[in-house]
Amino acid sequence: MADVVFSNVQKTFGTFTAVRDLDLTIRSGEFVSLLGPSGCGKTTTLRMLAGLEFPTGGTISIDGKVVNDTAPGKRDIAMVFQSYALYPHMTVAKNIAYPLKKRGVPAAERDQMVAKAAEMLQLTPLLNRKPGQLSGGQQQRVALGRALVRDPKVFLLDEPLSNLDAKLRGYMRAELVELHARLGRTMVYVTHDQLEAMTMSDRIAIMLNGDLQQFAPPQEVYRFPANRFVAGFIGTPSMNLIDGELTRAGSGWRFCAASLDVPVGPLNDMAQPGPACLGMRPESLSLGAGEQMAKVLLVEQTGHENIVTLQFAGQIRLTARTTAAQDLQMGADVAFAIDTSALHVFGPGETGPRLNRLLENKSSETDGQT
Amino acid sequence: MTRRILFNLFAWSIVLAVAFPLFWMVVTSIKPQFELFRRPPTILPETVTFEHYWRLLKETNFLIYFRNSVVLSVATTVTVVSIATLGAYSLVRFRYRGRESLAFLVLFTYLLPSVVLIIPLYLMLVTLGLANSILSLVIAYTTFALPYALWLLRSFMAGIPEDLESAALVDGASRLGAFWDVILPQLLPGIISTALFTFILSWNEYLFALVLINSDSARPLTTGVMNMLVSSFNIEWSLLMAASVMMSVPLIIVFAFLQSYLTRGFGAGGVKG
Ligand SMILES: Nc1ncnc2c1ncn2[C@@H]1O[C@H](COP(=O)(O)OP(=O)(O)OP(=O)(O)O)[C@@H](O)[C@H]1O
Ligand SMILES: [Mg+2]
Repeated sequence: MADVVFSNVQKTFGTFTAVRDLDLTIRSGEFVSLLGPSGCGKTTTLRMLAGLEFPTGGTISIDGKVVNDTAPGKRDIAMVFQSYALYPHMTVAKNIAYPLKKRGVPAAERDQMVAKAAEMLQLTPLLNRKPGQLSGGQQQRVALGRALVRDPKVFLLDEPLSNLDAKLRGYMRAELVELHARLGRTMVYVTHDQLEAMTMSDRIAIMLNGDLQQFAPPQEVYRFPANRFVAGFIGTPSMNLIDGELTRAGSGWRFCAASLDVPVGPLNDMAQPGPACLGMRPESLSLGAGEQMAKVLLVEQTGHENIVTLQFAGQIRLTARTTAAQDLQMGADVAFAIDTSALHVFGPGETGPRLNRLLENKSSETDGQT
Repeated sequence: MTRRILFNLFAWSIVLAVAFPLFWMVVTSIKPQFELFRRPPTILPETVTFEHYWRLLKETNFLIYFRNSVVLSVATTVTVVSIATLGAYSLVRFRYRGRESLAFLVLFTYLLPSVVLIIPLYLMLVTLGLANSILSLVIAYTTFALPYALWLLRSFMAGIPEDLESAALVDGASRLGAFWDVILPQLLPGIISTALFTFILSWNEYLFALVLINSDSARPLTTGVMNMLVSSFNIEWSLLMAASVMMSVPLIIVFAFLQSYLTRGFGAGGVKG
């Protein structure tokens, strides 16, 4: 059992800053996802934790010990690489056995452990093949096997399921969650798939351009996004974000954009009259009745529900979610209502901070000031 | 269709042009002396004899030269490949000041004609007390084989994904362990090509051997055979050809042995993308 602490960690490549002032405390046994768009510094963060990349500032500790100067092999971690990094000249069995061999596990025991890991990952019939003779998904499972065969302090997984087909991915997701529950090991899981992060993690760390945006449990990230970026990034279909003006109305606030003018809930001290952004989840729009009118641009049927794209007040596009039973014609006009109790307000800019008063600071580690 | 035939004709004529001297070398080496200068020449020998080979092995220093050449080429190859592998690893994996300029400087020395270096090198070796020894040739050949070998291996090394090594490090290997377990097997085709290049270069080298060595005990085959069989008055053609055949045999063996390694598909599919 080991907690992992990033304290003020910085990583620059020449003049480019890949990770900036990262403060992150991962509790012992926690499943934490690093989530963010491509190039946001997820892999770099993981590689620093693995000891493959030296932080240019700050300290990283595992289990209370600063490991900045500890060699990767001495950190007692296991890692799945984004590129798999299987040893091409070794068979699957040899690949999985390699970390055991390097740690002096006797051959007989080694074979047993390899067989067990292979069984779990459905690799048993492939044990004598070379990585070059495997499909992408099979290679990925071998990479997982090489990490799971040991029982390290911390598991580092860099997009380990990205290359599996949907069915196997679902299976492996459940398998990993189950494994985590069983082993109780700290796991750091890198992904750019928010669904994976939402379904598997205890907490999610969302990154953008090397900055941590929010670090909180999935529900909190979804319900109280710390800033506009997080709001737009989490949830499918993503939250509607409308740029407009914030104005005072008596003791409260109103938000206006084009013909839209809605009251917004209590805001915090950062709120100022002027440009702001309104966020509403697709499910907080109800179609069919209400005082607003919009044109139906597109109806996407997913089976149990419809995703409807609306054009509102000329240029504003909105996404709504309705039951599959609701019959909407493309090109038709439809009335809709907004659930004003579920609105989010953010400051201007790509990472404009959350302005809602309610629970705005619930998460202890947010970084929305950038 | 006619284009195909023409192309084949063309290709075969080139093959013949290249192969004929080799063929003639073999044929001459097994013709008896009296048949050598007959006019018109016989394409295939009327009587086959191995007397020239016998004479070469029994009555001359051929075996000494041969041994020298083997020692010399193997030593040079081992030295060059070892240094170049480690050097290439350093140039590719580590970041330090002047890394790129170093690599270019190395290539620059390769651009210098070796004739220019021969006198300074000779004087240096004399000062070191190494003149007239096989070691002096090993050093000399290393100086001009190393830059090319370094570049060749550098490009092979650059093709090995860094993640492979990272994975080995995380799996508990030391840097040297990762190098041995993961990098070297991946580099094998590169090492073999480099070794072939160096071996052929040192096996066939003539100029440096001529200048640096003048004792029979240290002479390699190239200068040894010329010295022994070619004089201003007479060229022992049949012996020369027999010697040439025997000089080619090791190269042919080395090639035949290593070719399968060169063409075998290493390293495919270990890494995504
Ligand atoms: N060795 C390096 N030298 C220079 N820049 C680098 C280096 N490694 C990473 N970077 C840069 O750092 C940034 C973060 O890279 P990183 O690999 O951590 O992204 P990522 O979040 O893992 O993205 P992805 O989802 O595409 O894997 C990128 O802009 C990348 O170009
Ligand atoms: Mg990455």
